[in-house]
Amino acid sequence: MGMPAVAIEADDLGLTFAPASAAPTVALEAVSCRFEPGRVTALIGPSGCGKSTLLQIVRGFLDPTRGQLRFVVPADGRMAVRPAMSTVWQAFNLFPWLTVVKNVAFGLDLAGVRRAERDERAHRAIAAVDLTGFENRYPRQLSGGMRQRVGLARALVMEPEVLLLDEPFGALDAQTRLVLQEQLARLVETSGTTAILVTHSIEEAILLADAIVVMTARPGRVAAYIDVELPRPRSMATTRDPGFAALFDRIYGLLRDEVMRAMVSGGAGA
Amino acid sequence: MTETPPISNTTAVAPPAKPGRSLLDDPNVLGWGSIVLTLLVWELMTRLFGVSALYLPRPSQIVVALITMFGNGSLAIDLAVTLWRIFAGFAIALVLGTLLGLWISTSFRTRAVADMFIAALYPLPKVTLIPLLIIWLGTGGPFMLTISFLGAIFPIVINTVLGVSQCDPGLVLAARDLGANQQQIMRRVLLPSAIPSIFAGMRLGLGVSIILVVAAEMVVGKTGLGARLYLAGQILETEQVFAVLIVLAALGIVVTKLQDAVDASLSNWRID
Repeated sequence: MGMPAVAIEADDLGLTFAPASAAPTVALEAVSCRFEPGRVTALIGPSGCGKSTLLQIVRGFLDPTRGQLRFVVPADGRMAVRPAMSTVWQAFNLFPWLTVVKNVAFGLDLAGVRRAERDERAHRAIAAVDLTGFENRYPRQLSGGMRQRVGLARALVMEPEVLLLDEPFGALDAQTRLVLQEQLARLVETSGTTAILVTHSIEEAILLADAIVVMTARPGRVAAYIDVELPRPRSMATTRDPGFAALFDRIYGLLRDEVMRAMVSGGAGA
Repeated sequence: MTETPPISNTTAVAPPAKPGRSLLDDPNVLGWGSIVLTLLVWELMTRLFGVSALYLPRPSQIVVALITMFGNGSLAIDLAVTLWRIFAGFAIALVLGTLLGLWISTSFRTRAVADMFIAALYPLPKVTLIPLLIIWLGTGGPFMLTISFLGAIFPIVINTVLGVSQCDPGLVLAARDLGANQQQIMRRVLLPSAIPSIFAGMRLGLGVSIILVVAAEMVVGKTGLGARLYLAGQILETEQVFAVLIVLAALGIVVTKLQDAVDASLSNWRID
C-alpha cells in the first residue's frame, strides 16, 4: 500500500453550462473544500446541488468555468499531478457483454497488463467483494447488489489513489444497501484509500466517512464541513451510538432547511 | 367444443394443453403438417383435374426434377455460384459498412457528408442500378459482387450508426474512467454495444443481397440460380422452375434459422 500522498483542493470551484440557444444553467456555484488524503469524504446535499458535478470535475471529465482544482502534497504544499482515480457508478455501468472477471479486468487489459497478472489481480478483487464463484457469470445474471460489488471490484482492481463513489448504493433496495455499506466500510478501513462519496443518505455518509461536506441546494455551495470522529470499525451497531444520533440530527437540520428552501424556490428535484 | 380441422386452428398463442390435442398445439407439427397437407392436396387436385404439367406440375414431378438436376451436378453448381456471389459481396459490405458506420457515428463531419449520400441512395431501388453497373462493370464477377455489396451496405451502415447512438453513455464514461482512449472506446465499447443492431442490419442487408443477385442473374447471368430459373421458364420446363424456387425457399429457411440462432446467442449483449 503506497502512502496516500495528495490532497484535493477545490478552490471557489463553479460550473455554468451556457448553451448558445438557452439560458445558462448553474450546476455548481462556488465550492471550496478539501479532500484529505487517506480519508473518506462524503458529499451530501439536496438533489441538483452539484454533488455529482463536483465529482466529475475532480475526475477530470468536466472542466470548471470558475475557480481551480488543485492537487497538493500536504507535507510541503507542492502541486502534484492528478492522482490515479477510479469511479463506482450509481447505475453500475457494467459491460453487459463481458463476464464478471472480464468486467473487472477491463481497465488492466486496456493498460496492457499481462494476462497472468491481470487474472490474478482480478480474482483477488473479486474475492475482496465476496464474489468468488461468479467470475464467469454475465451482469444480467446477477442481482443489483452483486452487480455493484462487481463495479466496486472493477474500480478497486486499478488500485486507485482516489476512489470516487457516485451514489454507489442509490439504485439498490434498503436491505442490500445496509449490507453493502458495511462491506464498503470494511474495505475502505483496511485499504486506507482516499475516497469521495456522493450520497443522499445521511446514515451512509456517517457510517463511511471521516468528513462530511454538506452542500446547499441549487446552486451548490458548501454549507458545512463536519468531521466524523466515531470509532472504527463502524457497522450497523454504530447507528445506536449517541454520537451518531447527534451527527445525524445536525446534518438533518442543515439539509432540511436546504430542501425546504429549494422547494419554496421550485428548484428541488425528485 | 367440436373437433376442428388443423387448418382452421389459428390460435397464435399456445393454448392450454387439452388431452388428445397436444399434437395440434405444437407449432412445429402445425407448420410442417400444413406444408405436407398442401402438397398432398396439390398432388391430388392436379391428378384429379388432369392439370397440364406445363402450367402446374405435380409435386412428385418437381421432386423428380429436383433429384435429376442435383444428380447431374448442374443445380449444385448454380447454387454454389449464387451463394458465392451473395456472400462475397455481403462480406465486403459487412466489413466496410461496420467501419463506415463507426466512423459516421464518431465524426461530426463524416456524418454530415454521409447523411446526404445515404438519404439520396438508400431509398433508391438497387435494381435500377443494374443497367449502369453493366455499362461500367460488364456482367461478370465484379458486377455480381457489386450488386450484392450495394444491397447489404446501406442497412448495415444505418444499423451500425443506430446501434452506436443507442450505446449507454454510462458505459463510455466507465471505460474512460478505466483509462480507455478514443480508439479503445470505439473498439471495446461502441462496437460491442452496437452488435445486436448490426446483426439486425445484416439480416435486412442479406435479404436484399439475395434478391439483387438472383434478379441480376435473371437479367444477365449465364450461371447461377437466377439464370437457371429464367432459362427454365423460357423453355417452359415448369418442373425445373419449381425446383429452383424450392432451392431458393430452402436457402431462405436456412439463412433465417441461422440468423435466429445468432440472435439468440446475442442475449448477453442486451442489457437486462
